[in-house]
Amino acid sequence: MLRVEAINVFYGEVQTLWDVSFAVNPGEIVTLVGSNGAGKTTLLKTISGLLTPRSGAVYFNQTRLDTLASHRVVELGVAHVPEGRRLWAGLTVLETLELGAYVARARREKKQTLEWVFALFPRLAERKWQLAETLSGGEQQMLAIARSLLSRPKLLMFDEPSLGLAPVIVEQVFQVIEEINRQGVTILLVEQNVSHALALAHRAYVLETGRVIKTGRGQDLLNDPQVKSAYLGL
Amino acid sequence: MTVQDLATLIVSAILTAGLYATMSYGLALIYGVMRIINLAHAGVMMLAAYMTFWLVAVLHLNPFLAPCVVVPTFFLLGLAMHRFLIRPLGSAPMIASLLLLFGVWLIMQNIAYLIFSSDTRSIFTQYTLWTIHAAGIPISFNRLMVFAAGVIALISLHLFLTKTYPGRAIRALAVDPEAAILVGINTSRMSMLAFGLGIALASLAGCLMSLIFSFDPDFGRSHLLKSFCIVVLGGLESFVGVALGSLVLALVEAFSVMWLRAALQDFVSFALLVLVLLVMPNGLMSLFRRRA
Ligand SMILES: Nc1ncnc2c1ncn2[C@@H]1O[C@H](COP(=O)(O)OP(=O)(O)O)[C@@H](O)[C@H]1O
Ligand SMILES: [Mg+2]
Repeated sequence: MLRVEAINVFYGEVQTLWDVSFAVNPGEIVTLVGSNGAGKTTLLKTISGLLTPRSGAVYFNQTRLDTLASHRVVELGVAHVPEGRRLWAGLTVLETLELGAYVARARREKKQTLEWVFALFPRLAERKWQLAETLSGGEQQMLAIARSLLSRPKLLMFDEPSLGLAPVIVEQVFQVIEEINRQGVTILLVEQNVSHALALAHRAYVLETGRVIKTGRGQDLLNDPQVKSAYLGL
Repeated sequence: MTVQDLATLIVSAILTAGLYATMSYGLALIYGVMRIINLAHAGVMMLAAYMTFWLVAVLHLNPFLAPCVVVPTFFLLGLAMHRFLIRPLGSAPMIASLLLLFGVWLIMQNIAYLIFSSDTRSIFTQYTLWTIHAAGIPISFNRLMVFAAGVIALISLHLFLTKTYPGRAIRALAVDPEAAILVGINTSRMSMLAFGLGIALASLAGCLMSLIFSFDPDFGRSHLLKSFCIVVLGGLESFVGVALGSLVLALVEAFSVMWLRAALQDFVSFALLVLVLLVMPNGLMSLFRRRA
């Protein structure tokens, strides 16, 4: 479904990703783990077109993404819940969600999608007239996820959705991700919460200083001695 | 000073505030979306005044229909300016657009000197001397119509920004462009639209002002500074803020007339600008804003 082929990404003259290749198959939950600064955010931004690789290619099904204008990527069904949520201050919950359905394909199905999303996040339905910035941290994360669902994605990418949230909320976020996947959306999850992400994922890639150094089933990596010592503190 | 005088002064200030809000909102909109300070704002107001002069004094169009011609024309000019001047700058630092637009203003002035000479013009119509009396307060019909036109334009713009997809896209773009791209907003097209709207508002302000004030190719200079004063008072990117800033400036100006010679009136807005920058750099809204 998603194929990243040997991409090299730079900020100015500083190389951040080195020959990164990986793939996500339909229906999977794939996680990318790695410590702070490994290049996870850079990778997701490259897939969604916010950054352009200097070499290599990104394919979604048969379409090449990296040569597309960045706002076109979401039209194809690739959505990105960015790190730090990135909600729009001054817009209400409902306005935010409706903008989530900005592309023509999603706009046509907006009504049904809103019903689905409100069933998934009843809190947002209660607060739809509130300004986005007045929500609690957990609710803001839910709103960021809900906004991306309004675009009717086939592949949904999460960048550290558990960052800065209380443990009980983190639990809810991971449950929501699993639920979204059960409803047929393929998931690419980036996390620093390595144990949680590996437990949830079908397959995983380990990213270190801009390179993929390991790949395997989530469960297998959980038991991998190297992963254990580097990321799980065991 | 009687209660009557006071009421007259306040009504006059409110009418002026409507005009001020119209001229400042264009500046605020462009800054909010693109972080560009449009120094050509003054030139646009001046050219719109001349266009109105031509429509009304030469072609004998009803002055209150003039905006229907002026505003769409300048909207298109704004789109073209964005396409050929702003977009090529890419992500160059702000000083580049500042200097470029300053240059555009100078060019506009020189074109106006060439075509219209430096003579001062004014538009005299059948409405110019009309006055209506409401509760004993004399109100110039002309200024009332100008106020109404400005308010109608601002309300329409507000509805556009809050109720439509492109309007909301412009607001989202102003707050967080990356998040806007991620929902599929074509940011360069939306900033072009915002620039066009900002220029259209400036032209509306120029058109309306030409029905009240006399003008020459240098017209708009002091109004540009007043606009700066208002957006700084209003906190730069909020709708309510701009309205509030306009009202404060208009009131301060109106009351200063009691102590200062009229010729010094412009000085008041600049003094206020400096004062606000020193005391409340985040503007009036910072007095009300909830801490997040
Ligand atoms: N906008 C930027 N400009 C320059 N360097 C950056 C920028 N963003 C990230 N980097 C650098 O790229 C590397 C990878 O960052 P990032 O992708 O954010 O890592 P992660 O998401 O895994 O924590 C880091 O060394 C970081 O300092
Ligand atoms: Mg990151």
